Amino acid sequence: MQMSRMNSPSVGDDDGGVGHALSDFLLQLENYTPSVPDSVVAYYLNMSGFESQDPRLIRLIALAAQKFLSDIANDALQHCKMRTSSQMSMSKNQKGPKEKKYVMTMEDLVPALQEYGIIAKKPHYFV
Amino acid sequence: MSETTEKIESNGDARRRILNIAVSTVLLESGFETVDKISLETLTEMLQCFFTEVGNSANRYCELSGRVEPVLADVMLALINMGISLQGLEQYAARPNRHVIQPPQQAPVPRT
Repeated sequence: MQMSRMNSPSVGDDDGGVGHALSDFLLQLENYTPSVPDSVVAYYLNMSGFESQDPRLIRLIALAAQKFLSDIANDALQHCKMRTSSQMSMSKNQKGPKEKKYVMTMEDLVPALQEYGIIAKKPHYFV
Repeated sequence: MSETTEKIESNGDARRRILNIAVSTVLLESGFETVDKISLETLTEMLQCFFTEVGNSANRYCELSGRVEPVLADVMLALINMGISLQGLEQYAARPNRHVIQPPQQAPVPRT
């Protein structure tokens, strides 16, 4: 798996505004708990040399990571929906509106990751 | 020696399990019902890689400007340099029905 750096076009234009908004946002993080516990994020950050006494920074990173994952998951979900709908229309069996259960597989994840410039190749024996 | 390495591995495993739960939570929020093991493991690896990479990068930016403790600007630079968009972060933080994972329990410090 390779992570390539890309330029984000959305931030480049008005980074002053984003910076200002983000420093305001940092104050709101004082009493906010992201999904990933602080201690877990802090562990991985400390492992890589980042030692901050400010828990808000850790929460900001946790939130950014969560949003990153969420965006990828949304993309994968769109892929999954498109794939299943095309399969449903190909096989013309009318079973009525059965409940839809979306399963995330590598088949959907790989194209979603590719949009973010991440090439995921897993050997078939990898579990 | 073997005891310490084993302990480190089990500690990493516990954190890894929490990352697993975190990934699953995010996927559940975005509408997936099930995930196969290889995708879950890929996303967990990515999450771990993300934290490590941001920590590394922010630390470098911090030390480049002659500071010891990272500030917001360092983290921002690190995130932007990685191509992570900070645009919709506030809206994402305020999203409804978000789940929070219980932090892991701390083992008591062993008496020596």
